Amino acid sequence: MTNPQHIGGIRGFFARLGGIDRRWIFLAMGLSIAIPILLKLRFPEYPGPMAKATFDAVEKVPEGSTVLLSFDYDPASAAELQPMASALVHHCASRKLKIVFMALWPLGKQQADRTIDTVLKPFHPEYREGIDYAQLGFQAGNEGVIKVMATNLPKQYPNDADGKAIGDIPLLKDTKDLGAFKLVASISAGYPGAKEWVQYGNGAMPDAFEVVSGSTGVQVGQLLPYYPKQMEGLLVAVKGAAEYEMLVEAKYPAADPEVIGQGRVRMGPQLVAHLLMIALIVLGNIAMIAGRPRGGAR
Amino acid sequence: MNESMTNGNDEKPATRRRSSFLWFSLALLGISLCVLRVAVASQDGAAASAEAARTLWQSIGIWVAAFMTLGIFSFLYKDNPFYKVCESVLIGVSAAYWMVSAFWSTLVPQLFAKLSPTLVKSYAMPSLTPSETPGLDFALALVPLALGGMLLWRLAPKGQWISVWPIAMVIGVTAGLRLISAVESDFLAQISATMRPLIALETTTDAAGVATRSFDFWGTVGGFVGVIGVLSVLSYFLFSIEHKGVVGKSARLGIWFLMITFGGAFGLTVMGRITLLAQRFEFLFKDWLGIG
Repeated sequence: MTNPQHIGGIRGFFARLGGIDRRWIFLAMGLSIAIPILLKLRFPEYPGPMAKATFDAVEKVPEGSTVLLSFDYDPASAAELQPMASALVHHCASRKLKIVFMALWPLGKQQADRTIDTVLKPFHPEYREGIDYAQLGFQAGNEGVIKVMATNLPKQYPNDADGKAIGDIPLLKDTKDLGAFKLVASISAGYPGAKEWVQYGNGAMPDAFEVVSGSTGVQVGQLLPYYPKQMEGLLVAVKGAAEYEMLVEAKYPAADPEVIGQGRVRMGPQLVAHLLMIALIVLGNIAMIAGRPRGGAR
Repeated sequence: MNESMTNGNDEKPATRRRSSFLWFSLALLGISLCVLRVAVASQDGAAASAEAARTLWQSIGIWVAAFMTLGIFSFLYKDNPFYKVCESVLIGVSAAYWMVSAFWSTLVPQLFAKLSPTLVKSYAMPSLTPSETPGLDFALALVPLALGGMLLWRLAPKGQWISVWPIAMVIGVTAGLRLISAVESDFLAQISATMRPLIALETTTDAAGVATRSFDFWGTVGGFVGVIGVLSVLSYFLFSIEHKGVVGKSARLGIWFLMITFGGAFGLTVMGRITLLAQRFEFLFKDWLGIG
């Protein structure tokens, strides 16, 4: 490799770019995210087929039916998943569906509680605990929890999260197994999560209910093969959340668009950061080519 | 003389100056952010009312979270003691949380509650539902108790082989549990999902409810890409046949499909990481500084 210091002109400039201190790149990336947040940059989103399929899956559920929302994530993934969880709860409540919350992750219960406090209670004050919604909380056991729920839900969850016997909760007193739900939605950050719901929930009762999922970008590659046959809908990372928010907001406007709009807020910095990243990849390649000796071996 | 001492003694004045400049800059940035924070809280009505709505502990939590966030970010410039403290706190808190969580969500309800339900109901879980078969539950709970004890035998000075048995049981049970679902969901169902019509047709229903079928161009393209992709990637993993001729060309196409898949996965990972950074900035600007 030729020493970039010995190359002149524009080629030399680009060759020297290859040795730039990476902290300048960190700074540029930080600014590309901070500035759109401060300027509140928002761009229109165009819902894709997977977001539409998720929306349609919820729309198809008859009014008054019960749906199961499994919060299979923790605060480390909340940046991507909380926007879709909020939109999903608002969507289900707007359709007057009964909602049962549960979690396969220990901190998923807290995320569900937060969603109840920030979305369900303020936007749907008519929802009463135990009658219109219930919080089952977290149970240890990973896919074992789903497997037991598929055959005997009260055995896995004898009480709700507050310790109230399941037989004393009007919404759940007649629930025997997962077949009681028309839709299972897993907001999933990894194991255990959406994949396990397909394998052990949908696999055990393929015709009883539909499965939809919201997933982190890192994990979604594992879930894509299940869509659309084994998974009715799939929200892909914050982009999927933003698209789903658009669909929900268009039909069921929320009292506070800021709460059902976090995904779209985070898409502004995404665009600028992605443009920067593309520019850096192009510049990096130019710098590599410029640094090569002329006429030399590759 | 050890290496670190040598490095410490031989540290160049220019390096020391740069290090001092770094700490001065970080301190200045911290002070500026605090001043901005106070200024915004006193000037902006919304920020002031949000501040007033918080309890003292919530405010302390936000300040601690903000300093932890900045501490972790400081690593981007250079490894430093502030970062080390934040990293150690994160690891310590996470480990403690998982330990307590496992104790209360697994050991207490799944083991202790079956061995001694009265004691657990009195002191740990008032909401514990009495079992209909306490004798059977007690007897069954002795199995995981014994296996757990055997697993801990690994820490004993002699007889570590005893811990191999519970590990073998965990592996066997997990394999058995996952085998059926893997065959059903990841094998048979996936094969079925791949077998789709190559020529895709789209069904549309008009206002009168009459359904018409038309040619779906992109659906057809997707079908062809899917079939070619599956076959070419599978041919890449045919290691018992030399990758020459038709198989070689197909395997090479398979590599392209794999590379595009990895590129897509990397792009999605980047998107996830940018979202995490955006959320941290939102927290710093909105919750801590009260701007934005």
